Amino acid sequence: MKQEIRNFIFNELIFVAEPTKFSDDDNLIDSGLDSMGIMRLIMFLEEQFSVTLPDSEIDPDNIKSINTLEKWILLHKA
Amino acid sequence: MNIVTPFFQQCTRTPNHIAFFEAENQLSYSELKEIILRIATYFQNHNIQNQCIAIALDRGIHAACCIYGILAAGAIYLPLDIKNPAPRLKVIIEDAQPRFVIGFGPSPEWLIETDKWLDYSQIPTTHSHLTPLEKTPTALAAILYTSGSTGKPNGVALSHQALSNFSSWAQKTFSINQKERIASLTPFHFDLSIFDLFTSLSSGASVYFMPTHLTLMPSRLTDWLDEHQISCWYTVPSLLSFIGLKGSLEKKSLPHLNQIIFAGEVFPTVHLIKLTNLLPDVIFYNLYGPTETNVSCYWKIDRERLNPQENIPIGHSACQAKLTINSDTGELIVNSINNFSGYWIQGKLEPIDSDNYATGDKVSLNQYGEYCYHGRLDRMLKCSGYRVEPAEIEQYISQLVGIQNCAVIGINDIASGQRPAAVVVLERDIDLAEVIKPLRKQLPTYMQPCKFKVLDKMPALSNGKIDYQAIQALFNS
Repeated sequence: MKQEIRNFIFNELIFVAEPTKFSDDDNLIDSGLDSMGIMRLIMFLEEQFSVTLPDSEIDPDNIKSINTLEKWILLHKA
Repeated sequence: MNIVTPFFQQCTRTPNHIAFFEAENQLSYSELKEIILRIATYFQNHNIQNQCIAIALDRGIHAACCIYGILAAGAIYLPLDIKNPAPRLKVIIEDAQPRFVIGFGPSPEWLIETDKWLDYSQIPTTHSHLTPLEKTPTALAAILYTSGSTGKPNGVALSHQALSNFSSWAQKTFSINQKERIASLTPFHFDLSIFDLFTSLSSGASVYFMPTHLTLMPSRLTDWLDEHQISCWYTVPSLLSFIGLKGSLEKKSLPHLNQIIFAGEVFPTVHLIKLTNLLPDVIFYNLYGPTETNVSCYWKIDRERLNPQENIPIGHSACQAKLTINSDTGELIVNSINNFSGYWIQGKLEPIDSDNYATGDKVSLNQYGEYCYHGRLDRMLKCSGYRVEPAEIEQYISQLVGIQNCAVIGINDIASGQRPAAVVVLERDIDLAEVIKPLRKQLPTYMQPCKFKVLDKMPALSNGKIDYQAIQALFNS
């Protein structure tokens, strides 16, 4: 799951010179993930992992890193 | 004439009414006037008439006070995008040659002439009872830097009459009065902010500065609109699409919200339909115009006519602009009091030689006599509402070590309009990631190419020029 999220983010949303050195805890928002990126990311995640992510939970705490994203998705996949 | 005079008149009419609200702070019209006079007094004592003063502050009360103080003192305000990387800020400062740069704390590293730095908190608290300096209508009021086709940022210089003309048109068209609560999110270097800054306070309305982090939490954003009883909001379509899709509006009614005005990019009609359905009582307006003309066309959204397959029109002439279409190219030509005075180059105005501004936008008239937008005649891109010249990005990429040639094009994107993408030819067999690493620190986020492709050779037309269509096709495939 992490790899799929990483691929989408680094191919489609933000430009990171060396994605391989970007850790799963590094901050995506500080690296340029903005509101437009978040909107596309959520549409991707919902479709890719067949999950509904509640509007009220869309916030930097859940979106800030690959790890928090994975945790958030798994919470709703159960 | 002075664009800030109507605010001073408003202070006598409604001294105790809220002018600005930001998080825990709020200022009444009379309290705001006190602060503005302090700033204006300081600048007047420094003889800054018709000189440019740069503002290195985040959008909000402090920056807005500086703008009013600078204008009341008879100077020109230049709002910097302090989120820009240092190299770009350096380029803008070198070009603008401001008399002062105002901000908080010590002088930043991107400012070479540190004696120009003015710490906002050091401005004396005393002031004289000055009135806004009377300016000729063509005197400059603002310089807004946008991306430039020459590869460098361009300072668009706007006069007092240009700002006033738009401000009073907007006040009339949207019936802005002192009951209005206007949400403000636009950074001040963006021309949409002219509404938030001047139409508002000229009408006695209250401006509510929206916390920036709410743009990342759409549901909280719509809560904020409700809690603060916002009645009017002028913003960009991409953010409106986001709250339409994810702002929990199915569960909220936002009874105070009367008008949503948008501009800056094309609003995908599918998303607009969704939002208008969620907010059945809100009146929507589409505004159009490059920074050089501010708003020159507008369309009040006719819900009956929204068709997912069709872009909405940009509508009719706004601000008494005279519009014509170049019959050869289809380009929209704007003659308006709003029009800019020229570009600010190397610390002075390079005046324009015509009243007609060629927008570079291709348009046509529909059966209702409304203008419709059909894209650019040149390579300019619109990314998250920002205007981006590929030439400026190319300028940065071509200066990187190891790059032999490069070209930037736009990829269409439903969420952010367009996003830049680059093809590069490397000088030798080296790692692209290493080569492009410095870009992160040189370009603002919205200008960062989202994709790179390495080619052996730049696609060229028979005349030797870069074949942008072929490059576009590489990304579309």
